[in-house]
Amino acid sequence: MAKVTIKVNGKNYAKAVEDRMLLVDFLRDELKLTGTHVGCDTSQCGCCTVHIDGRAVKSCSVLAAQANGASIVTIEGMAKKGKLHPIQRAFSECHGLQCGFCTPGMIMATAGLLKDNPNPTDEEIYKGLEGNLCRCTGYINIVKAVKMSAKLLRGKKH
Amino acid sequence: MSAKAHDHHDPVGRVEDARLVTGAGTFAADWNLPGQLHGYFVRSDRAHAEIVSVNVERALKHPGVKAVITGADAVRAGYVKPMHTLNFPGKGGMQTRAPERPVLAHTGVHFVGEAVALVVAESAEAAQDASELVEVTYRELPAVVSPEEALAPGAPQLHENVPGNLALEAEVGDAAAVEAAFARAAHVTRLKVEVSRVAPNPMEPRAYIAAYDARADSYTLHVCCQGITTLRRHLSVYTGVPEEKLHFEVGDVGGGFGQRTPAYPEHGALMLAARQTGRPVRWVSTRAEGIACDTHGRANVIDGALALDREGRFIAMRLDWVNDMGAYLSPASMGHIRNTSTCMTGVYRIPALYATYRVALTNTNPVSSYRGAGRPDIAYTVERLVSQAAVDLKMDAAELRRRNFIPPEAFPYKTPTGSTYENADLPGLLEKALRVADWKGYAKRRTQTERAGKLRGIGIATVIENTGAGQAPKDEVELELDAGGAVTVYTVSKSQGHGHETTLAMIVAGALELPLERVRVRQCAPEKERLVGGHTGGSRTTVGAGSVCHLAAKKLIEHGRPAAALELGVEPSQVEYAKGAYRTKESKRAVKLGDIARAKPVSVIAEGKFGSTFPNGCHIAEVEIDPGTGAAEIASYCAVDDIGTVINHAVVEGQLHGGVAQGAGQILGEKVVYDRGSGQLLTGSFMDYYMPRAGLLPAIRGAEHPTPSAVSPLGVKGVGESGCTGSLPAVANAVMDALAPLGIGHLDMPLTPARVWHAIHAAGKGNS
Amino acid sequence: MYALNYVKAKSLKDASAFVAKNPEAKLLAGGMTLIPTLKQRLARPTHVVDIAALPELRGIAAKGGKLVIGAGTTHHAVATSPAVRKAIPALAGLAAEIGDPQVRNRGTIGGSLANNDPAADYPAAVLGLAATVVTTQRSIAADDFFQGLFATALEGSEVIVRVEFPLPKRAAYSKFHHPASGYAMAGVFIAQTAGGVRVAVTGAGPGVFRWTAAEAALAKSFKPAALEGLPLDASGLNNDIHADREYRANLVRVMAKRALAKLSGKK
Repeated sequence: MAKVTIKVNGKNYAKAVEDRMLLVDFLRDELKLTGTHVGCDTSQCGCCTVHIDGRAVKSCSVLAAQANGASIVTIEGMAKKGKLHPIQRAFSECHGLQCGFCTPGMIMATAGLLKDNPNPTDEEIYKGLEGNLCRCTGYINIVKAVKMSAKLLRGKKH
Repeated sequence: MSAKAHDHHDPVGRVEDARLVTGAGTFAADWNLPGQLHGYFVRSDRAHAEIVSVNVERALKHPGVKAVITGADAVRAGYVKPMHTLNFPGKGGMQTRAPERPVLAHTGVHFVGEAVALVVAESAEAAQDASELVEVTYRELPAVVSPEEALAPGAPQLHENVPGNLALEAEVGDAAAVEAAFARAAHVTRLKVEVSRVAPNPMEPRAYIAAYDARADSYTLHVCCQGITTLRRHLSVYTGVPEEKLHFEVGDVGGGFGQRTPAYPEHGALMLAARQTGRPVRWVSTRAEGIACDTHGRANVIDGALALDREGRFIAMRLDWVNDMGAYLSPASMGHIRNTSTCMTGVYRIPALYATYRVALTNTNPVSSYRGAGRPDIAYTVERLVSQAAVDLKMDAAELRRRNFIPPEAFPYKTPTGSTYENADLPGLLEKALRVADWKGYAKRRTQTERAGKLRGIGIATVIENTGAGQAPKDEVELELDAGGAVTVYTVSKSQGHGHETTLAMIVAGALELPLERVRVRQCAPEKERLVGGHTGGSRTTVGAGSVCHLAAKKLIEHGRPAAALELGVEPSQVEYAKGAYRTKESKRAVKLGDIARAKPVSVIAEGKFGSTFPNGCHIAEVEIDPGTGAAEIASYCAVDDIGTVINHAVVEGQLHGGVAQGAGQILGEKVVYDRGSGQLLTGSFMDYYMPRAGLLPAIRGAEHPTPSAVSPLGVKGVGESGCTGSLPAVANAVMDALAPLGIGHLDMPLTPARVWHAIHAAGKGNS
Repeated sequence: MYALNYVKAKSLKDASAFVAKNPEAKLLAGGMTLIPTLKQRLARPTHVVDIAALPELRGIAAKGGKLVIGAGTTHHAVATSPAVRKAIPALAGLAAEIGDPQVRNRGTIGGSLANNDPAADYPAAVLGLAATVVTTQRSIAADDFFQGLFATALEGSEVIVRVEFPLPKRAAYSKFHHPASGYAMAGVFIAQTAGGVRVAVTGAGPGVFRWTAAEAALAKSFKPAALEGLPLDASGLNNDIHADREYRANLVRVMAKRALAKLSGKK
């Protein structure tokens, strides 16, 4: 068994889990944070994207044990005090989601992208979302939502 | 009709978004039940084999294992005959030949991935660990994965009761008239096209929990589905368990596209496991299982010919179909014939038509509905033929279409296959699309592209598809009003991303003239499981359930009128309803809608049965091709659609975007590939199965061109399948247009970089 | 995933010793290939030894005419490093093209090289730049390091510590992405090095290789035209449902020309 002491969305947890447990299963099954989804087995779809120590990663390709000591943010940690994060707001307002299954991963990937590049071009958004699949939207409104997110986040800083 | 329903602006964001953007949605794999066990399926690694034996002894001894269910259990329980809907009249009175399919394979396996055993254990890990201890002995048989090869003499035979692997042969139209027309044709364009087999791949993998209640001898299944009524009927037929003993829980559904409609063998196998162990049994699919075993879509080969007279008028069309159904007939197999024949002549006046169908079984995963379920297949076939005819005749592709449209005055138009198109304004649609796409300015854009060393092509498609009608006898919607004036809408239709909670609420709120937030939509609520209605599929929910929502709201108003009159002290006829309250003309007094539910909640059930609506559209795509690599990119996309009256523009636009992307993805890259010799699946993960990514479609310039439908009181037509019905032919025509100057005729989808480069290279222009 | 034991290495020595003692143990760096492989039960190690956090494997430095990159450096760190961008911009560009942002945030150069996927990007740069792979035991020249499909010169308990890239006069990489996986269907790294022109090809064959005919031609004339009509034996190239040998051979040619075009400033 692996001991995992971890901070998730600002809250500390300590659990002993099977060494082979994936971080995504740890979040979903141990912490009941089911907003992080699993959409494939090969690290392609990005539905499981979370932030580990501030970087977007695919939690399906990380052992929970590897994340020991890390600080994690999941989709559940984005809204603050019942107020949507600007990226969440933008996805809704731009109709950047339909079934919503890929959405948590998309939002976490967007947050990662905008952290590195606060004002991305269309091409940079395409590249920034390379690791995330959506089957419903055709991505057009997702790209719109990323742009609106960027605008909202930039506005916040000024 | 009351136009009120759409007389307001779209709400900003959808009702369902709040939970979905925060991770608070409840998808199928988010369900857990106390005391649940976990299932893992042992699946065939052979495409075609006899099962000699299944030995579960070692697996049963593995720690944590509670049961191993096998084909013997399935046969003992009688879970062997899935429903199929392929009841199209066969040629010469032929009846559909449907093979049995035990929910777990018993005597033989017929495709890679077919479930052979279900291991049930205390944890998912233990179940998977033990699955490797199940010993299946096979006697391998030769496999056939191509439908045309399966129908050829000497092909490996899949099922005893399906000689020649021919499940059904059918025909439509008038063979003699077509023969005569072809004999006098000035020109005949021939094209054999393949509409490739694709994996729908909704992003949510399937997940189910089956629980058995011994006292009631009933089952409750937690599922991801497109609506409980169709699933319940399928599953009841498959298992013999009466419908009233099957209950369902459905939360958020992560995409469906037709694939989440049918009852699957896994449902039945989990029911057997739940009954045997007395505990709920949960199963969460992997993506690998999803690609291998969740029904595929399309998979048709069509040999077509279009006859034209000297003026370029279509005089006859002949199509010979080979439909690949995979190893078994899926419950929704009918779509491939019904939907391809309903709109077989597309948007054109083609006086003579004849088509044949040969439905083949192959050693592959069964084929079922996928966004359009045959509609895109026929649209692609006709539109490729028409564009090819334009090339042959050196005619403008738009002009050839214009010349052959069904004119507006000919509606309602009875087609050669007997369906009746309600209405459309095809010339208006075309002209608008040509304007939006700047058809006239194309030559300039092509010159610019060529200067950059690339090829450019423009493709047009004008399409029509049948939507709305379903197999349910009617659609019912129940409204419940509470004393606070809040309305709950119950429907058995189920959104898989369509936004029913918003659109249906808008319809009810519109009719009741209430703010949107007073109306809540509940789909497939267990306590309302007896409501009748279609599932969400075939672009029918707004036409069906949506229209009934409107009727139900009107019924609720009428229901409250007598009580309101009593309270206002007037005759019911003197009471008027507006903005959530009953009033009389004379007095200032009002009775609020909620007041009629003061004593107890008021419930009304409305019903309706609506026929087909025929949305239509003109899509124009432009592509750029890098001749060095063969890679094609969509440079522009324009879509003008007649989908009748629009309730929620953002949602409708979203449906079009998604549909167009799925069609474009199929043209440019998607295909399920099986190895011809071994029958092994070669595109078993997203490492090999191409999925569209951000950037595939930079934007869609669109416009609405509505001719409201009289089929529905809302004037709406379906839209869910319009996007891909238009984009398959539009994008393909654009690529073929780019390649035509090199002397390249037709290429089958997917138009991958490799395929396009080879064609360019063979044409002798492959210099980079 | 089969059951296994997770071990966090305290030092490089510790990791190396552990693997020496446990021949069925596997080193785990970013895990971007290993974890998916384990998930599909395609490997069954007794242990995974996590070396991702070891400080000895960190760091990027340009010194003495060399760019030295610690094996545990992520693709993202390489792609965005000012030192890499200055010393070998083509290498930073290559790192930015690997996988996707999430993968680049965890995947490491050492992990990629040790795995030697035939369609991975880094092997092209390491071979094209005549880099040296420094391990816990020795220094291995790129020409000796790569030994075909998923095979390298690494032995049992040997751990990659860093990679030393001699600075080229100029270099460029051009890649055609696999439409589904995003890996290289063909990637060509061209460098003018102290030892002459080197052309390394990934994605097209069973392992990274040098296109020697192109090297000879470019040594004479460092221009796209020099590649016209050059022999490229397609028989050893990969042939699969996505691309047959002939197409891959074409891609190699086209990507080589495009890499050269980047150097001449033309597209």
